[in-house]
Amino acid sequence: MIDLFRSELLRARSRRLVPMMLVGGVLLIVVALVIAGANSHKPTPEQIAAAQANSQRLFAQCMNGKFLAPGEPVPGGFTSLEDFCRQATTSTPDTGVRLGDAPDIIEHTSTFTVLLAVVLGASLGGADWTTGSMATLLTWEPRRIRVLLVRALVVALVIVAATFFLQTVLLAGFRLTVALRGTSAGAPSSWLGDAFQAILRVSVVASGIGLIAFAVAMVGRSTVAAVGALFGYLILFEGVIAGFRPSIQDRLVVRAAGVIVGQQPIYDQNAFAPGQSLPVLLGLTEATVVLIVYVVVLLLVALFVFRARDVN
Amino acid sequence: MGVIEVEGLRKEYRRLRGGRTVAVAGLDLEVPEGGVFGFLGPNGAGKTTTIRCLVGLVRPDAGTVRLLGTDVSHGLAKVIGKVGSIVEQPALFPRFSGRRNLQILGRIDGRDGREIDAALERVGLMERAKDAVRTYSLGMKQRLGIAAALLKDPSVLILDEPANGLDPAGIVEVRELIRALGAEGRTVFVSSHILSEVQQTADRVAILARGRLVKAGPVHEVLAAGRARGMLVRVADPEAGRRALESARLSSTVDGPLLRVDVRPDQGEQVTRALVAADLYPSELRPDEVDLETVFLELTKDEGLGP
Repeated sequence: MIDLFRSELLRARSRRLVPMMLVGGVLLIVVALVIAGANSHKPTPEQIAAAQANSQRLFAQCMNGKFLAPGEPVPGGFTSLEDFCRQATTSTPDTGVRLGDAPDIIEHTSTFTVLLAVVLGASLGGADWTTGSMATLLTWEPRRIRVLLVRALVVALVIVAATFFLQTVLLAGFRLTVALRGTSAGAPSSWLGDAFQAILRVSVVASGIGLIAFAVAMVGRSTVAAVGALFGYLILFEGVIAGFRPSIQDRLVVRAAGVIVGQQPIYDQNAFAPGQSLPVLLGLTEATVVLIVYVVVLLLVALFVFRARDVN
Repeated sequence: MGVIEVEGLRKEYRRLRGGRTVAVAGLDLEVPEGGVFGFLGPNGAGKTTTIRCLVGLVRPDAGTVRLLGTDVSHGLAKVIGKVGSIVEQPALFPRFSGRRNLQILGRIDGRDGREIDAALERVGLMERAKDAVRTYSLGMKQRLGIAAALLKDPSVLILDEPANGLDPAGIVEVRELIRALGAEGRTVFVSSHILSEVQQTADRVAILARGRLVKAGPVHEVLAAGRARGMLVRVADPEAGRRALESARLSSTVDGPLLRVDVRPDQGEQVTRALVAADLYPSELRPDEVDLETVFLELTKDEGLGP
């Protein structure tokens, strides 16, 4: 098992796609940060003072209940009205890149990270079928369940490592841009920890969706078919369904991924009642369960198909 | 007990437009230990499907397949380490180097760099080991496939059309390699449709047609089964020769510049005597031998090209 794992790891490392994606990702990050830096400048002391004054004014209004409807309770996720107001009224000079935005930037770029994971997962699952080397592999290790499970583990690890690396590069580049052309005013002391938590969440979600792509590639025996099918499903099918039937959002993988990454539940807008907080349609725990169910079910399907079908 | 044992093997494929194609129709086969075993058959006869069943890539619809005494459907993993194989074209990663391809496979079985080098050396690919496989010629890819099969130091080698696409020099190299492997005591199971190749390398053959075994045994026995009795004689005047042999009560027919005489090969003296008595001196006298190709065509002529 260990030997097979080492072999699969070497195979994944040797794929040109992996370094190409990493290099391409780093280049894109550099370009994006250069553009962000070019459109940003360090705030003047007057701008910082004005922002702080504005923040205090908004905080006072919030504590007086101006930010909530009469009788509306403090939204979920906040421990008190003060906690809510402190986070809702933080005001920093709007002169470009701000250190406090780091976790948000990680979360907002998660779509690209997940797309990268889809391509990686599909390729690591489909390439052997395209080259025909699956037959060669099976003449060395005929236990197909073992082959698929070890490969799934390697796919998950490679995706976590690749996405973690790219997001860390993004974070480091962002910190450099902030130092050169932005501001750290108003950034909470926990910004780095928050950012790394976001990186970890995005990497884990990307790994889950990458495994779904891997499973589809193993069933369809093709990288291209898997990427096409998955993009079609995630973007068109789930997008359209969620638009027409909002009530089933709690069963869709894209929504679940969004909840896990953003740590924000989806509320049931249809159940709005004055004076009552909205019921949660998809909470964090449910979203995690939804993603796990998708991954496990599709891997089981891939396992069954891989075990049952001839390799020609 | 044979190294490879196949009993009642049957495999059908579903056609896209309905119906079924019978690839292997109740094949029985036994390959003894050691030496080179030729597995012959026209295209579509079921050779590759049989080999796929042997190495577990395809599940038979019926019958049993045993490798080294182990039922492939249950215990292939126990013996796969002793079985090296190439099924059709050696399928490897084209963008990886030859060495990297072998490293990936070798790690599964705990093979180290020294063993990889030895396998590359054996097939003459050491100098191109660092080059991407996509830059290899067809012959080099075949040799790399053989190197991958040899990496396990197998006691059984299953090679599906190993000379396919090779140039004459490549064919000779592969032939010599197969002979050497067989001489080392390994069992080399080679499928081919290049019959002259098999005739030169194999100790035993099996001939397959329409998914069924038509003939199996040592090469000389299979050749004998299809051998036309008689001798071929070249004389200046074949017609005069025919009459001279007739007067000596030896039946013959004129076949171009030759006389085909219906005698056993050990009756050459009788033929010479009859011809010399008529003042005809043979410039050539030889047994009317047939090659494997003739036997093969004779045995498979009623079977068609495939299922």
